Amino acid sequence: MNAAVRTDGLVKTFGQARALDGLDLTVKTGEVHGFLGPNGAGKTTTIRILLGQMRADGGRVELLGGDPWQDATELHRRLAYVPGDVTLWPSLTGGEVIDLLGRVRGGLDPRRRAELLERFELDPRKKCRTYSKGNRQKVALVAAFASDVELLVLDEPTSGLDPLMETLFNECVLQEKRDGRTVLLSSHILSEVEALCDRVSIIRAGRTVETGTLADLRHLTRTSVRAELIGPAPGLAALPGVHDLAVDGARLRCQVDGDALTPVLAELARAGVRTLTTQPPTLEELFLRHYEGAAR
Amino acid sequence: MTGTWTLIRLILRRDRVPLLVWIAISAALPAAIASSTTALYPDQAARDSFAAASMSNPAQLATRGPIYDASVGGLTAWTLGSSLALVGGLVSVLMMIRHTRGEEETGRRELLASGVVGRHAPLAAALAVVLTANLLLGLLAVPALVGNGLPAGSSLLFGLSVAAGGWAFTAVAAVTAQLTAGSAAARGIALAAGGLLFALRSLADAGGVAWAAWLTPFGWVRLTMPYAGDRWWVLGLIAVFVAALAAAAFALSTRRDVAGGLVSARPGPATGTLPGAFGLAARLHRGTLAGFAIGFGLMGVLLGVAARGLDTQLDTPQFRELAATVGGADARISEVFFTFVMYVFSQLVAAAALVSALRARGEEAAGRAELLLSTPVGRLRWGLSHLVFAVAGPAVLLTALGAAAGLSYGGDTVRVIVATLAYLPAVWTVVGIATLLFGVLPRQATAVSWTVLGLVLLVDLLAEFKLAGGLVLELSPFVHVPAMLLGGAASPAPPLLGLTAVAAALAGAGMWFLRRRDLAPSA
Repeated sequence: MNAAVRTDGLVKTFGQARALDGLDLTVKTGEVHGFLGPNGAGKTTTIRILLGQMRADGGRVELLGGDPWQDATELHRRLAYVPGDVTLWPSLTGGEVIDLLGRVRGGLDPRRRAELLERFELDPRKKCRTYSKGNRQKVALVAAFASDVELLVLDEPTSGLDPLMETLFNECVLQEKRDGRTVLLSSHILSEVEALCDRVSIIRAGRTVETGTLADLRHLTRTSVRAELIGPAPGLAALPGVHDLAVDGARLRCQVDGDALTPVLAELARAGVRTLTTQPPTLEELFLRHYEGAAR
Repeated sequence: MTGTWTLIRLILRRDRVPLLVWIAISAALPAAIASSTTALYPDQAARDSFAAASMSNPAQLATRGPIYDASVGGLTAWTLGSSLALVGGLVSVLMMIRHTRGEEETGRRELLASGVVGRHAPLAAALAVVLTANLLLGLLAVPALVGNGLPAGSSLLFGLSVAAGGWAFTAVAAVTAQLTAGSAAARGIALAAGGLLFALRSLADAGGVAWAAWLTPFGWVRLTMPYAGDRWWVLGLIAVFVAALAAAAFALSTRRDVAGGLVSARPGPATGTLPGAFGLAARLHRGTLAGFAIGFGLMGVLLGVAARGLDTQLDTPQFRELAATVGGADARISEVFFTFVMYVFSQLVAAAALVSALRARGEEAAGRAELLLSTPVGRLRWGLSHLVFAVAGPAVLLTALGAAAGLSYGGDTVRVIVATLAYLPAVWTVVGIATLLFGVLPRQATAVSWTVLGLVLLVDLLAEFKLAGGLVLELSPFVHVPAMLLGGAASPAPPLLGLTAVAAALAGAGMWFLRRRDLAPSA
């Protein structure tokens, strides 16, 4: 019972196309879980299955201890969802929509509502047809953050927000986490996931390719090494786990597998080191590798 | 105007199928009606007596206007002049709004406007396509008419008159598309204008104020008088009307921002009191329903006024004979008139009910249902919240129509209301079909539902000309409605209960499927 979301070999097909092809996803209660993948990888389809809006063709899925298709209405009392592309009722004002969503979810905190409106700089008296994409997203975010729920499902929630509002969004998510809520955050904005998430799942073509904490995933990946040497290091190119080696006089750059760092550093030390920079891989790099894998 | 040609090709690519179907059906109808007229009324004596009977029937005058000449051509022009202008006008309005304001509202226009597309190009492209389609269907009708032995010059004038009806409402829609930021409002204003202009023509021809027909495009398309003197110059009047409105539309479009309207939005309340799914649905349906109720009320008033004094005015042998065949020996002429007109109006009510029945699909396609259904609002509750308005809405509209007609006629109002409400189960059947389609084939539901209603109207028209009959005719729910003002009141229960049961079964099945299928947003 300590998993808010658990899917096991989830399959969903649309005609010939296999949108989900055995997707595994586990979100522990109380964590912020990043759900990463390129466009079309199946993130939104997974979320729609979790929300009981689509039925899986195969595999098992459990949400807050229930079946998302069978128990949709009951489970929805305990979650709030922000779609990736928020569309609202053109003739209603933002304030009316926030209160409608709050009321059907079982009430929202008026103090929190007022505070969020002010911080997000959203005018609730405007008709929804006049809102930009970012403002429509803010309406859905305010309604979600102000309601008293256990799980937040956020599908690329910052794609229309400016950088200032993104920072504010990050603060709100961390606040939710401190309050003990679980957050499933789908994104292809990697810095966002890096800043917020306890664990991430990376999916590609409907399958989970990696799952773990950022530290776990980095262990699987290469470190970028730049160095200025005193003498030559001829043995470097022959070491296993060294990639993309580029030598320019005394300077060199290369990518090193995580478990090959020790012999590489020994080889560099033998040559004598003037400067040395190593960088952990950014999620961008992690992601690019998986993405390229799909293209290949 | 840069980019107009590219946009024209885009419109053709998106709408090639509906365009072709519309053009093909509209172009084929005139020759079909001409040949069936020849078959049904082979000699001049038969045509004369048919014309005399029709001209003494106020319902025929109200829907089609006067017969100018009792020749095969003259009768064909009379049968189709008004109807084709109505259909052409409706399709033209829908197409124009879809490709102008609709594109702006969804933001697609913005995407295109950032490319090399002139500021007038979207309006110019939509006008070019819709005007050309109308012209094509008019011209394509000509060869088959000539093949039926009708004079070439008059046939060409008739074809152009048919095109002119579509042209007039293309221009009306071009203007209303500039007025409001929402496409639904722009479409509503254009359709309301069309309804009033049609009612004006009805009043002119059935109410004895013939000059008023000169004030409306629905009058002009008949006043060209093809096969009855060929007044070509009336086409010039329509051309001036279209040119003036098109120029106004271009002028208006330069005075506003992309996606903005001339009527700007006011701020609303900062907090809301909508209690849930049903409150939201009430909010979404109320404006449309109120607008339709006012429209049908006005039509009812016109109907009642036109029916006044018919019993004495039209007390001719021909009409008594017609009344007797339709309603029995002691049928009153005004009641026969009401019965005819209500048959047509109930189908307009069905169109209004279809708008309500398909709104849930609109919410789903736009992605708004996804947000609402992520809350504890369940599928069935959401579906029912909209279905309630598709069921109760037509009851309100038919009551408004019957009450307004009865009161302005000055007879037994309750009896007239009962007679209009008798059409409710038939309208519900159309709602039931749409609901079933919404449950089973959500992506096709809107297009197929409107096609079904269009086919029902087509069957009724063809049946009138004996081109269809028997089992095919039975498919139209409206055929089964008892004429309550005439003999039908004797045993109304079986057909009405039968239709209600069919409607309930269809709608119930639709809801059953809705709970079991995947949500299908259009993106």
